[in-house]
Amino acid sequence: MALADFLITLLTFVAVYGLFGIGLNVKYGFTGLVDFGHIAYFMIGAYVTVVLTMPASVQGYGGIGGFDLPGLFGALFPGGALVGWFVGIACGMGAAAVVSLLVGVPTLRLREDYLAITALGIATILTAVFENEEWLFNGPFGVRSVYEPLAGVFPVSLGSFTLNMVVLGGLSVLTFVVGAFLLIQYARDADVRTQALIGVATAVFVLWYFVQPLLGGDMVELQRNLMWLFDPTAGPEGGLDYDRFFLLFSTALLAAGYWWVERTVNSPYGRVLRAVRDDEDVPKALGKATYRYKIQAMMVGSALAGAAGALYAIQLGFISPGQFGSTLTFFAFTAVIIGGTANNAGVLLGTAVFWIINSGTRFLNDFVPSEYSVQLAAARLMLIGALLIVILYYRPEGLLGEQEYDVGVDDGDAPPDRAVGGVARGGDGD
Amino acid sequence: MVSAGLLDALATGLVTGSIIAAGALGLSLIYSIAEVPNFAHGDMITIGAYLALVFNKPAAIPFLPDSVPLVGTTSLAVAGVLAVGLGATFSAGYELAVFRRFRRKDADLITMVIVSLGLALILRNAVLFLAGSKNVSYATEPVRDVFWDAYLTGFGLTIQLTQRQAGDIVTLAQWGYAWWLAAAILAATVGVGYAVYRERSAGEGFDVVHLVDPRVLGVGAGLATLLLCAYLLRFHSGVVADPLASTRVGTSWKDGTVVVLTALAMLALNVLLKTTKLGKSMRATADNLDLAEVRGVDVDRVQLVVWVVAGLLAALAGVLAGWSASNVNPNMGFSLLLPVFAAVIMGGIRSPYGSALAGLIIGLSMDLGVYFLPPSLAVYREAIAFVILIAVLLVRPEGLWGDV
Repeated sequence: MALADFLITLLTFVAVYGLFGIGLNVKYGFTGLVDFGHIAYFMIGAYVTVVLTMPASVQGYGGIGGFDLPGLFGALFPGGALVGWFVGIACGMGAAAVVSLLVGVPTLRLREDYLAITALGIATILTAVFENEEWLFNGPFGVRSVYEPLAGVFPVSLGSFTLNMVVLGGLSVLTFVVGAFLLIQYARDADVRTQALIGVATAVFVLWYFVQPLLGGDMVELQRNLMWLFDPTAGPEGGLDYDRFFLLFSTALLAAGYWWVERTVNSPYGRVLRAVRDDEDVPKALGKATYRYKIQAMMVGSALAGAAGALYAIQLGFISPGQFGSTLTFFAFTAVIIGGTANNAGVLLGTAVFWIINSGTRFLNDFVPSEYSVQLAAARLMLIGALLIVILYYRPEGLLGEQEYDVGVDDGDAPPDRAVGGVARGGDGD
Repeated sequence: MVSAGLLDALATGLVTGSIIAAGALGLSLIYSIAEVPNFAHGDMITIGAYLALVFNKPAAIPFLPDSVPLVGTTSLAVAGVLAVGLGATFSAGYELAVFRRFRRKDADLITMVIVSLGLALILRNAVLFLAGSKNVSYATEPVRDVFWDAYLTGFGLTIQLTQRQAGDIVTLAQWGYAWWLAAAILAATVGVGYAVYRERSAGEGFDVVHLVDPRVLGVGAGLATLLLCAYLLRFHSGVVADPLASTRVGTSWKDGTVVVLTALAMLALNVLLKTTKLGKSMRATADNLDLAEVRGVDVDRVQLVVWVVAGLLAALAGVLAGWSASNVNPNMGFSLLLPVFAAVIMGGIRSPYGSALAGLIIGLSMDLGVYFLPPSLAVYREAIAFVILIAVLLVRPEGLWGDV
């Protein structure tokens, strides 16, 4: 597999789990709700979306489903299939939010640690229900027919091979240039340690991605790596294939979710959420119905997890209850804590770091005899658990720390926002 | 032909409940005194079960030789004792290496939750790493179930002990109690139980501390009377023809050992907490850590003891669970974690006795639920514990007994 393809798979993963992590950040980072059942909403979003967009009467599927929303809307007007899929994912997000409402109403009145264990229990029960009730969503056999939006259009070709290569390749090179520019701009204002870290990470990436094929004399590989958007084997004239499109598509949805959450946390509403997290009594004393804020944060976070689930289903092309174990919730927590709790950019960074550790060590599989693959997977998870503890001890605010907020208050005559909340959370710094 | 009924479900539930109670005792200590909602407790249980496996059946673990040097392969009883000791040592290690450092930094409750989660990941995968994901069982003598068949006939109550031997059902003993005798035994049971309760609870005041709660003592004395009378007064061989009602309870001495060991562990913990100076400082630390420290309690030492005791109880629960189910696997602890947490929260996290009792209730309701629910719902055995927990939390968020 070419490095470019590996990178595309990895980035799609990061986009999907980044959306999942941002949903968790709304709950845990900004509102302080320890929802150990986050995976349940991911699962619900995936199942509801898949079932709503699935064509009627699929062989080997005995559960509820076959509503074929894309077909339904596609018959009404051109481009309706995509609209139908969006209706499906909206329903998936809605279902996740409604279930989290049902879970939240009894549990959000409880102490934070009670919430953690009840949420974990409810998620475990829900997975067991999906596993055991075949009439519901086909039980352990899962769903094999996942609708892929716009799949019929791809591979897209702009015309001749040269035109494809110039346009798509040019765009790819442009992404590298813009990325490098942004990185340099960020590094210029950072302290020396961060600069060193960025320098090392960039060097490793360049060595792995560009220098390695160059030294190997594999010019075709180098060209494919550089023009990652252009797939010469897609269609007769080359072009943009579905995997690459899906990366762009999930990145776009991630950006939409990111934007939504950023707007939320930077608004007066988000200020109340943070106040609930830091000390619930204070906003309560100021007349805020904190319980409702917590429920709303729970629903927003779960809806985002549901959207991530819908994307996950497309990426894998197959879903079954076994894929939605509680470990994924813990992975998301790890990603959020590594990157920086209550920092959306940090969550994306944390997710990337986490999945690079998790997938990047997979090449070790080639060197280790296959009978030790269980050991290797276990060692990887031990490493992640240790990383979680070490980060919490030495840098509880994560790699990036809590983000700064655009609170819209004039600095001159109003107290800064943090005065409302009091002490920072998460192990208290030093 | 007799069939298993409600009583059998109760007996199974008692065993399940005992194992949950053993886990819940340790967790509630950590929860109330060390103030860590320990999500690694389930995996501490797994570790305990595997430690016993190391001494009992090293061949089941790929990296070990067929017998441990110096020890060799030992019987489960010896292996269990070694495992409980080692489990306690490991647990002290978690406190010293991880939790003490975080306490020094005044980490809040949520941080502790996540830290224990990280520890849980490490422990579970360490087991997977070393022992693989296979289901294994201890090397023990197979224990045969004894069936206690009870018949209600015109004559009275007849109890028949049967056992399946080489495919046939063999009657081991048959004891009959005429109606008047059964009624008398029952009356004696209630009478002795109530008398003991009254006697112990006399002179009740705020300064009286009972080593064992009078209610528990009353129930215990009543049960002892029942068993003693039933054994001593077994004159008649009874009648089993045309029963009005009959039921079968299947148990073995294995089940009895599990229940008795848990009860002994509870009693020992009780003595530690209520009669020793260390126990007093543990209770003081649970009430208010700063105040206890001001009064000269060595809080670090108390916390260490708490973790050691909890590790001991967790390992005991692990060995009992693995032995009782004849199955040890890396996920056994995680599947116990939810009922154990449910028991601790239900019993009110400040009270080890409350959590042990709640553990019993949860174990009983899990098996009674399986008995009463239609078979298609029997797969949700563990969910039952949770539904009860949520119901309790809705009505009494502070737990059944509150702060005891």
